[in-house]
Amino acid sequence: MMVKKSNVPDGPMLPGLSLDQIVTVLAEKFTVVRDASDQWGLTLVAPAEKLRDIMRFLRDEPTLQFAMLLDVVGVDYLAYPGHRGERYAVLYPMKSLTFRHRVTIKVTVDEDACVVPSIHELFRSADWAERETWDQYGIIFAGHPNLKRLLNHHEFVGHPLRKDYPCQKRQKLSINDQMLDQLEARLRARGYTILDHGESHAGTPITDASSVPSLGTVKAGDKL
Amino acid sequence: MKVISPTGERVDLMTINVGPSHPATHGTLRIFAALDGETIAACATEIGYLHRGFEKMVEQGTYSQVLPYTDRLNYCSAMMNNIGFCKAVEKMFAITVPERCVTIRIILSELSRIIDHMVCVCTNLVDLGALTNFWYFFNVREQVYVIWEKLCGARLTNTVTRIGGMYRDVYPGFVDDVRGVLLKIETAVGEVRGLIEHNKIFIDRTKDVCVVSASDAISWGWTGPCLRASGVDRDLRKDEPYYGYETYNFDTVIGTSGDTFDRIMVRIYEMIESVSIVRQGLDRLKPGPINSPDARVSLPSRERVYHDMEALINSFKLVYEGVRPAPGTCYDATEAANGELGYLIVSDGGTNPYRVKVRPPCFTQFAAYGDMLTGAMLADVAASLGSINIIAGELDR
Amino acid sequence: MTYKNVPAAPAAPEIDLGSSFVTTRLDAVVNWGRRNSLWPFPFGTACCAIEFMGVVSSVFDVSRFGAELVRFSPRQADLMIIAGTVTYKQAPVLRRIYEQMCEPRWVIAAGACASSGGFYDCYCTVPGVDEIIPVDIYIAGCPPRPEAFLEAIVQLQNKIDKESIREQKTVGI
Repeated sequence: MMVKKSNVPDGPMLPGLSLDQIVTVLAEKFTVVRDASDQWGLTLVAPAEKLRDIMRFLRDEPTLQFAMLLDVVGVDYLAYPGHRGERYAVLYPMKSLTFRHRVTIKVTVDEDACVVPSIHELFRSADWAERETWDQYGIIFAGHPNLKRLLNHHEFVGHPLRKDYPCQKRQKLSINDQMLDQLEARLRARGYTILDHGESHAGTPITDASSVPSLGTVKAGDKL
Repeated sequence: MKVISPTGERVDLMTINVGPSHPATHGTLRIFAALDGETIAACATEIGYLHRGFEKMVEQGTYSQVLPYTDRLNYCSAMMNNIGFCKAVEKMFAITVPERCVTIRIILSELSRIIDHMVCVCTNLVDLGALTNFWYFFNVREQVYVIWEKLCGARLTNTVTRIGGMYRDVYPGFVDDVRGVLLKIETAVGEVRGLIEHNKIFIDRTKDVCVVSASDAISWGWTGPCLRASGVDRDLRKDEPYYGYETYNFDTVIGTSGDTFDRIMVRIYEMIESVSIVRQGLDRLKPGPINSPDARVSLPSRERVYHDMEALINSFKLVYEGVRPAPGTCYDATEAANGELGYLIVSDGGTNPYRVKVRPPCFTQFAAYGDMLTGAMLADVAASLGSINIIAGELDR
Repeated sequence: MTYKNVPAAPAAPEIDLGSSFVTTRLDAVVNWGRRNSLWPFPFGTACCAIEFMGVVSSVFDVSRFGAELVRFSPRQADLMIIAGTVTYKQAPVLRRIYEQMCEPRWVIAAGACASSGGFYDCYCTVPGVDEIIPVDIYIAGCPPRPEAFLEAIVQLQNKIDKESIREQKTVGI
């Protein structure tokens, strides 16, 4: 079971902590920096290796109780004027159902390693959202069970939302993904033993940079 | 596919595709199911058949040019997407739109919510075999479309808001037209309730089908009617009210068990609540300006443009370049028909948005669908898929 | 009551066959049958599908044109209406479904996205469904009004009138 305590709120929503108070609660345990680019809400830059711990803390801490991860958003700062630092960032907007406060956690991602720990065990909404970020940006979520294309077709090469992917570069699909491997994975998770595979397109889940397949990643400066 | 089931017997499972072209999938979704007789042993879902590159396309144009793309996200309630985007950009400018604009946006939002719920419920009922409700609801939708057409020229993809206000003020006679259509909406909802609420076939097909507990729904990131049907009393209009929703008198509709029956009935009762909100909005509609006077977003009046140099330059820059929000990252959300529709906008201070990420409410709902269906029967696919209201335009963007 | 000056009916009724035959051309009667009983297969993907639902509904009523029976199996339909954007992911599916339709079959590309890709000029959309299958009628609009759908069906009916069953219809697939 994913959530140990009940994440269901009882009763009406209570007033939340102020933005500074949230920063204080987090800063006691982790090194988070308030992101200056968000003048309208609270965005905190967190180190990637501590992401799981921070997320667990945000979810379970009684004064915070950020029970819902709304989305996983990738950003490519390649064309951002005056940007210094890593090329990618992943933002995690979160909200609490018990208190009236929201926060966005931002993790900067290095262009070469391009890895962020996956938080799909903490929040099930991260499952597909991380897949989409991998699909569109090529950021690998270490530990994700099924890091496959979600929106683009399975023969797509490259990551289209990157700033160096030309908008009109179309890629045709010859035959749809059979999805037998994903189905078999789900059957195995339910306790079935597969005797006869039929036609199976083996798809290895991607867990770290070294197992990234040779097709599919486009880096800055690549000729497309 | 030959397998050994968890209970140890040898079973021959049949693999079947539901979709991506299927009448019950309301859009281009694919469910790849392994069937043990009629029961779904496991299923894998696939989306992306309507991935049209919203997020890449909006980076190519200005902020105002994003608005037609937002129409086509949740195309059943296009105005709510427009309003959501404009609200996010207006938050970046820290401007408040005039009161008349706010009231009109609420009226249009709630009417859009009503017609979205109508499509969801009636197409879901068609899948169950109850075709009459489709005609009843679509007749009323046509009458709402007549109002949309008089208002902005388009029936479905309205693009009725602009950053800082609206495309134009409502036409004379709008209030009477809306009051008239509200009566028709109430009649249609009453007729449909009469047909399904105590109907044994409907209850048998939807009660305790694809139950989602509140805790699972929250972990999956569900919002909107589906979350409320699982018993969680959370609605952005009540919890983080915007546009003065706290001054309107309405109830949130909460379900008890989180099954398909609850998800459908929550939508039907929400339609009744929305009718009440629209009536209150019409009552408090007062004359006044429709656009914000802020020069960063609104065109100055023509008289000033002809006589004043600054107004001329302002008008020129707004028309040729569009609005330029301050650089930064902003997330804003509204309670759309399906749940929390969020826009995360990254601006670099230029005329084109640097990044616009839409947080579609039905994305999280369909992400859970594979797990929801496990153990259900194939016929439950038709019943439950409509209840989570998947709009492929929003799901795939 | 008896009317005067009306001839009496013949004593032994001989069946008068003359007025129960209609002479026509084979093409005319075949085309008359086909045009007035188009069974659409709504390949609805996006917003245009909602407008198509409006066309099928009571207000615009496509059944006046004989095209009421939407059949969601390509084997039972003869008119494919592609309503909405087709992406490259969807393209093999569309192709396969078109190939499953039996002749005679017609295709209407409804809306800007099906006709030309619409305003989604990007990496994932097919710039017009006629890249994949032959199209008979294109409907402009985003989404087109229901009257435009009906006009397209009428135009298709006029097009069918000009066909001949002696012609080989299948374009090399």
